Amino acid sequence: MTPGIVFDIKEFAVHDGPGIRTTVFLKGCPLSCVWCHSPEGKDPAPQMMHTPRGDRIAGKAYTPEALAVYLNNQVSILNANEGGVTFSGGEPLMQAAFIHSTLDLLEPVHRLLDTSGFAERHVFGDLVRRFDMVYFDLKLMDPQAHRTHTGVSNAPILNNLQILSQSGVPFVIRVPLIPTITDTDENQRAIADHVYSLPGLLRVDLLPYNQLAGAKYPMLGMVYALHDLEKHPVNLRPDLFLSKGIQVLCH
Amino acid sequence: MPLSERLIRMKEAVRRGDHHQYRQQHVPMLTAESDVLGLSWMQRQARLITAMCEAEQVVIQPDERIVFTRTLPTVPPVYQNEDWACLTAERTLHELGPISNICADWGFVLSQGLLGRRDAALATRQRCANQPETVEFIDSAIETIDAVLALAERYAKAARAMNQGDIADALTHVPAHPPQTFHEALQFLRLVHAVVWLGGHYHVGLGRFDQFMWPYLERDLAAGRLDNTSAEELLAEFFISLNKDSDLYPGVQQGDNGQTLTIGGVTPSGEPATNDLTLMVLRVARDVSMIDPKINLRITADTDLDLLCLATELTKKGLGFPQYSNDDVVIPGLVAHGYALEDARNYTVAACWEFIIPGKGLDVVNIGAVSFPYAADTAIRAGLRAGESFEEIMERVRHDVQAQVNRLVGTYSDLLLPPAPYYSVLMDGCLESGCDLSRGLTYNNFGIHGACSANGADALAAVQKLVFQDQAVSPQQLLAALETNFADNDTLRCLLHEDGPKVGNNDPQADVMLVTLFDMLAEACEQIEDNGRGGIVRPGTGSAMYYIWLARGHENMREPAVGATADGRKAGTPFSANLAPAPGVRVPGPISVFQTFSKLDYQRIVNGGPITIELSSSVFGEPESIRKVAMLVRTFAQLGCQQLQVNSLNAETLREAQFQPELHQDLIVRVWGWSGYFCELSPEYQEHVIQRDFYEMG
Ligand code: SF4
Repeated sequence: MTPGIVFDIKEFAVHDGPGIRTTVFLKGCPLSCVWCHSPEGKDPAPQMMHTPRGDRIAGKAYTPEALAVYLNNQVSILNANEGGVTFSGGEPLMQAAFIHSTLDLLEPVHRLLDTSGFAERHVFGDLVRRFDMVYFDLKLMDPQAHRTHTGVSNAPILNNLQILSQSGVPFVIRVPLIPTITDTDENQRAIADHVYSLPGLLRVDLLPYNQLAGAKYPMLGMVYALHDLEKHPVNLRPDLFLSKGIQVLCH
Repeated sequence: MPLSERLIRMKEAVRRGDHHQYRQQHVPMLTAESDVLGLSWMQRQARLITAMCEAEQVVIQPDERIVFTRTLPTVPPVYQNEDWACLTAERTLHELGPISNICADWGFVLSQGLLGRRDAALATRQRCANQPETVEFIDSAIETIDAVLALAERYAKAARAMNQGDIADALTHVPAHPPQTFHEALQFLRLVHAVVWLGGHYHVGLGRFDQFMWPYLERDLAAGRLDNTSAEELLAEFFISLNKDSDLYPGVQQGDNGQTLTIGGVTPSGEPATNDLTLMVLRVARDVSMIDPKINLRITADTDLDLLCLATELTKKGLGFPQYSNDDVVIPGLVAHGYALEDARNYTVAACWEFIIPGKGLDVVNIGAVSFPYAADTAIRAGLRAGESFEEIMERVRHDVQAQVNRLVGTYSDLLLPPAPYYSVLMDGCLESGCDLSRGLTYNNFGIHGACSANGADALAAVQKLVFQDQAVSPQQLLAALETNFADNDTLRCLLHEDGPKVGNNDPQADVMLVTLFDMLAEACEQIEDNGRGGIVRPGTGSAMYYIWLARGHENMREPAVGATADGRKAGTPFSANLAPAPGVRVPGPISVFQTFSKLDYQRIVNGGPITIELSSSVFGEPESIRKVAMLVRTFAQLGCQQLQVNSLNAETLREAQFQPELHQDLIVRVWGWSGYFCELSPEYQEHVIQRDFYEMG
């Protein structure tokens, strides 16, 4: 079994699901969103990061056993506090086999998958069924805009959303609001229209663009393209969702 | 509840320092007169209280219902310089000299009134009329009581003249008699407490405030004299008044004044002690949002989540308190160190962290710190140079820790504590036995902290793993790199920093080193059977200012500054403070940190010193977050850790405050055992607060 590559583990990840949770960030993502706030999550391989505190390698190999030992050490704490384990990324589906093996070893605990939904349908379907909850990103409904800003088609994502909705696993739709790109009225309305009737939908989270997103790019020798958006106000339209009877949480 | 307009006015006036206009240029001079009269030290201490009380000018501001504003900015000496030098020659004074960092039995004093205490003194005087030493002490104590009563009377008279009947009535009754109302109890405490500071004592804590004040509040609530709103209004005024004189208190930095109070926990008989005043203190401290008083909350693994949620709302304010102490480990730990169970259950938290017993403890809780980085670093360098095994290096560490402990205790074996007749009035049994508190109370222990433990443990773990086990680094390579401060070998520094096991990750190898260091400290302390005052030595986990002193050097530290260290830390970089991962070390978060520090044996390590975690203020952004942080605090207790400080920090705001202090005058941060206004800290402490690692979720 090839090891998984993890670029971060965060305990007490208060934004990653109910209760006290530990989130495992898996390295590698097939998308390349221009706003991505974890650029070190894109490349599947470990890579050097030049931080102000010195160099460090982002990405560490874990066997499923090692990761499960670490997580199982905390399971009783997570269970006692309404929480659990979240797998995030990058795109965790890129390391689906590793996650399967880790879940096989994990003691009973609430499991949440945080995903962009971009994967082959059987890979997606097989994995989500093993989770208690899914956080599913929806970025852009317009196919062309999705291609332009994330580098991939949104067709497989929307397909997988149907699979998710039929799987019986409750899910939350997460919309990153990037000024002028994803935060337009049209896009938010289109997302609301698309999801409001889906069985299993718990709520929609609106995530305003994080101003500090660009800081890590130079540390990886990458260029951040959205600097001019840094002071741009975000167009938050919870009303568009509420009017469809969808619960909304603004972060 | 937002503060009333009256309280906002008062708070703003205190922050602006409007009351500084009443401060006097001159303080009374005592030495010449005392020399002529040939007064003893005891008598001079009483004289000091009298002179200060007499010289205090009455200040009653229009908005006030609880009065006393200190107008004497400094405390004069009781001896001329040469005489003082003779008196103290070859003796060790604790810090500045005067008795500090103990806690009065406020509940007892309130219940008796100062006249009740005076009667007790007179009875002893009669009984011991033929013992000159006792008579001198009792007369001195009575002199101080009379001085405070006279001051109260002057205040009452002035209030009457200003038609402030409410204040006049209160001060006619208290502190002479036991209070009849919550208002009188607060007025009593304000005055009697402030006079302790006037006598040159410092770190004057307020003890188990919700316990001794609750009967007065309960009676008023039951009788309908107060409702929750009016009670909170009074309590808020009292809290604001405690901030009036903060700038006159001695401390390393402003805010380091030890004006703490402790709430929650259990009663001496073991019943749950939390009451409505416990909750009110948390609410009012949140609403007032000033640096004083600093709140300590006693909890257990079973503490109600609602109480922890309320406490978390206070944390969210960014004040750096409440600080939590876990009764489940503190009480048995104290019992294991010779404290009676009822006394252990009645503990309060001293200026920073240490557990002391109100009225009964004359523990000198911080006689100094053992520098773990120094012990580890000298052992590593000497051991590697001599080609020793890792076990031999650890043996060197053990010796050095022991030597540091023995040196500290040796220095304090001739500790000289000045007589304190007024403070004795406020303690258990001093007036009854006729003995000044400086001669000892029930508990006379010392405390020593093991400072900067994470860096010490990390350095040892790095050597064990990378030099001895993996042989990735040769001893010569490491020695050369340490001596040159990694000047031309940053690769090696990164290797040590990234691949060395680190405290705070629940990493067995690093944590064994941590536990071993504290075991060594405990062992060294346990070997001391008598500290010179009939007490023992309690080992603790606090670091106070040592994280900077040990890294940069300081005149008060015998050990020289430690240079570059084997954990990949460059010379001059601050060490870890209290129980926290070393600065710059990446950890997954607070659960691993708790798991690491839960491995310490808190039955042996009993002097306090908190696990310190910093949460980004963004953590508090969601409605559910308060509950999650409360659960995190409960987890700390459930894992059997001892003490916890949770800070809420926003690095951006702090940076901004450095550049535009005028916009951030009210920004409060926790520094080590205390909170202060960020803009009033010196730059090096500001910088450290900003650099402190915090868990930024999201
Ligand atoms: S899907 Fe997420 S991790 Fe992948 S590029 Fe987009 S923002 Fe980054």
